Amino acid sequence: MKNKDIHPPRLAEKILLWYCGHAVIEDLLGDSQELFYRDLEHMRPWRARMNYWKHILSLLVSYSVERRKKKAAYHYLSSGTFSPAMFKNYLTIAARNLIKHKFFTILNVLGLAIGMSISLLLIAMLSFLWTYDNFHENKDRIYRVITKVDDQRKLREFATAPNVLADKLHNEMTGIDAVVRINKLSGNIVVGASEIPIHGYFVDDNFLEVFSFPLVKGNRSKPFASQNSVLITPKAAAKLFRDADPVGKVIELTGVGPLEISGLLQDIPKNSHMQFEILLPYQKWITLEQNSATVVEGDLWPYRKSYTYLLLPGTSVIDKVEQFLNQIPKSFYTMKENYSVWFELQALMDIAPGPDLNNQIGPDWGYAPLAIFTLLTLLILLPACFNYANISISRALNRMKEIGLRKTMGGQRSQIFTQFITETVIITLIALFFSYYIFVMVRGEFLSMIVGADSLDLSPTLITISCFVLFALLVGFVAGFIPAVYFSKLNPIEALKSKPIGKGIAKLNFRKVLIVFQFALSLGFIMGVVVVLNQYRYSLNYDFGFDQENIIDVELQGVDPQPFKNEFSKLSPIQSLSMSSGIIGTSSGQNTWLKAEAEDSIEVAQMFVDDKYISNMVLELLAGENFIDDPVSKNHVIINEVFLKSLQLPDAAAAINKTYTVDGNKEITIIGVVKDFHYADLQTPIQSFFFRYDPTQFNFANVKVVSDDMSSTLSAMESSWDKVAGGKKFMARFFDDEIKEAYSVYFSMIKICGFLGLLAISISCLGLLGMVVFTVENRMKEVGVRKVMGATAWSITVVLSRDFVKLMIIAAVIAIPIAYVFFEKLYLETQQFYHINIGIVEIAITLFIMLFLGLSTILSQTIRASRVNPVETLRYE
Amino acid sequence: MKGYIGEFEELVLLTIASLQDQAYGISIKESIDARTNRTISLGALHSTISRLEEKRYLKSWLGEPTQERGGRRKRYFEITHEGKVALHHMKALRDDLWKLSKATLSLSK
Repeated sequence: MKNKDIHPPRLAEKILLWYCGHAVIEDLLGDSQELFYRDLEHMRPWRARMNYWKHILSLLVSYSVERRKKKAAYHYLSSGTFSPAMFKNYLTIAARNLIKHKFFTILNVLGLAIGMSISLLLIAMLSFLWTYDNFHENKDRIYRVITKVDDQRKLREFATAPNVLADKLHNEMTGIDAVVRINKLSGNIVVGASEIPIHGYFVDDNFLEVFSFPLVKGNRSKPFASQNSVLITPKAAAKLFRDADPVGKVIELTGVGPLEISGLLQDIPKNSHMQFEILLPYQKWITLEQNSATVVEGDLWPYRKSYTYLLLPGTSVIDKVEQFLNQIPKSFYTMKENYSVWFELQALMDIAPGPDLNNQIGPDWGYAPLAIFTLLTLLILLPACFNYANISISRALNRMKEIGLRKTMGGQRSQIFTQFITETVIITLIALFFSYYIFVMVRGEFLSMIVGADSLDLSPTLITISCFVLFALLVGFVAGFIPAVYFSKLNPIEALKSKPIGKGIAKLNFRKVLIVFQFALSLGFIMGVVVVLNQYRYSLNYDFGFDQENIIDVELQGVDPQPFKNEFSKLSPIQSLSMSSGIIGTSSGQNTWLKAEAEDSIEVAQMFVDDKYISNMVLELLAGENFIDDPVSKNHVIINEVFLKSLQLPDAAAAINKTYTVDGNKEITIIGVVKDFHYADLQTPIQSFFFRYDPTQFNFANVKVVSDDMSSTLSAMESSWDKVAGGKKFMARFFDDEIKEAYSVYFSMIKICGFLGLLAISISCLGLLGMVVFTVENRMKEVGVRKVMGATAWSITVVLSRDFVKLMIIAAVIAIPIAYVFFEKLYLETQQFYHINIGIVEIAITLFIMLFLGLSTILSQTIRASRVNPVETLRYE
Repeated sequence: MKGYIGEFEELVLLTIASLQDQAYGISIKESIDARTNRTISLGALHSTISRLEEKRYLKSWLGEPTQERGGRRKRYFEITHEGKVALHHMKALRDDLWKLSKATLSLSK
């Protein structure tokens, strides 16, 4: 043969041989080579080589090779088909294994149950949010106009839109089925002497035609008989009229006037992004607006109050509507430079959960908090899954013989894999039971912690339950994947020799990394609790710059201050009494704008007080004088030091008698300067502030009481109250209690952090326990030998514990700086203006808690092991 | 329908039958290439052969090593009884349809 010295490409042949492994492919290679030499007879060598490559590649992916490989890998009796009998066998083996190794079963079930519990909360929440607004018949056709404002510094998005747009759309645009204008209302309903707060909307007449809120009584297409009609929900009606039929009754709404109930709605389902108790005609709002004629400055075209919903015939017109909307601003806005506004349409189903918008109409379900919650859930769930993988692999030795035998008898890789996945799924399903129990226990607490809980229903439905089961299956797969792959890869010869595979070090590293990660995470959560707890204590003991002892704040509820003062001054335990519009130290009060001549306005916080207030609160007057009990004081203010600086005045004395303009047109004169104090809570810095005098603004009486018998004093105060208040309830609270309550937000933080920390640390400790128990069991002989050679129980404990303690120390070294930066820089410095600094003490406490829990886990096993009589362990050698 | 064979499978089976005791990879490939005027890849051919083996329409044995194949043996293929039945079945089906549509399929006008 003439072409004898030309060979087919070796590499291609090698690749095929390598790929096929043990499979017999002699004939295939022979065919390829024969073809190559035939090609050579009528082709150039490179073409023939190309062809050879082509054929080898086609063989590589061919069914033929696949089948031969499969055949070569297993015994000729082995079957790759799935049979119910095998599945039954898996179940039996799994059940036997679970029962035999009770300790590890409990460990695994507990760990997974804890890890899954918070995920169940998330699933229940998400599956409920999934149903949001799906009861509307027109749900796919309803859109909302949203506003985007870019002032070059920040892009802000609003759920609201100027009501002008609605009019324009209604009058000038064709092809829109309906335009619904909505304005928010929150007011009080007058019932006898008291007032009940109520939330509702002013809506257009077609509201109920667009939105499918069921109506019990009334007319859907014409719900409001007149401008003074109102629709009400049974819940609100029950508050007002108990069981009586509300239709036809008249209610008095503060700021609006008397309204006649013309219809009864059904209670608004929780999964609606609109939540209201009453509906009023939009016409009423227009009338009210015309009468009050308040135009807020800087808000030329108010877009922060009104909502516009559209009913479109289909998605095709969206672009047209958006184009139309965005043509309007140019003609309407004579805005400042660098200020752009545009409008978009948002589909009803994208509202909740949806992007984070300002001024939401109802409960806010933004993506961001959901994402954070999901992340936290994964941080808890994944370690639990890895724990399972970890414990399973470390116990591989016990299962080696079984797997070796299975493989020798023709068990295929996929079958071993299925077996271990089945086993894990059984465990996760058992864990789901316990997890569900935890879920039911913490559900109420969880709801009380989150904002918008009223619009969330976590009671299980068929859908959530099936989601739970699906989730458990998924977790089973995720947790079981690594051990299943590991076991199915075992070589039967080595497995039957019960020799762990040589990759031990790599695997061990993985386990170590896992334990380090888990403890680092736990440490973070523990630190969170410690830091927040300290911040809470710090806030309570903080020197606010005023007196908070022995002061009782009485809510005036509209009672005239003068007779109140007269009546209360008669009581002997009352030392002094002052009036104020708010309570300092609890929250940021109302702000106003102050204008000096030829200068920009300054934003300033204000509070209205009387002449006694400063002395009553033990505030220090640096210069000037106090208010006097006379209407002339209405034009006087007393400012704080920060304000002094922002007015750029050299010292306190210079400020006296300076005149400025507030509230647009009111002239005021500074008559005094007080030392800085914390008028707001500690989350906000002290800024410009002034006291003003106006008896009509007083909401609280601040009563300083010195008394040995507080309860009799309180009842004396109550009887005095009854004389002046005309049947209103006496509402008094201790000032320091109110301050404490203002910081109760920390308790939610502590609860969340504490709960997550508890979960994280339990999972880490369970994982650690599994590892320690396993290691100790495997080293019992070594312990026996050591004892025989004279080692003390203590030195054995140290030997056994050393490795694990090392891991915890590594975890601490990694986690402490990260947690420090996170809490110090990201939480305290951004969220809390006046805050503690995380110091040695906080870190030490955190470290101590973690080490204590970790060490008790380790020592519980190692001490016991070190005490075992060597005779027990060495008996069988 | 049990024992259904595809167009290419039928082609391979018939080619193997026509080659009698000389049916191995290359001869089958070249015969098909020549008759159908197309070039099939070895992978595609062997995949089909494997499937036919799986359906028990083919059996195979290894021949003697030859020099032009680098000392590698050939794998010879032969149609089994089941294979013959399947082919007959296909033919009967076709004949039936041909008989019925003789008038329409006639090429002469």
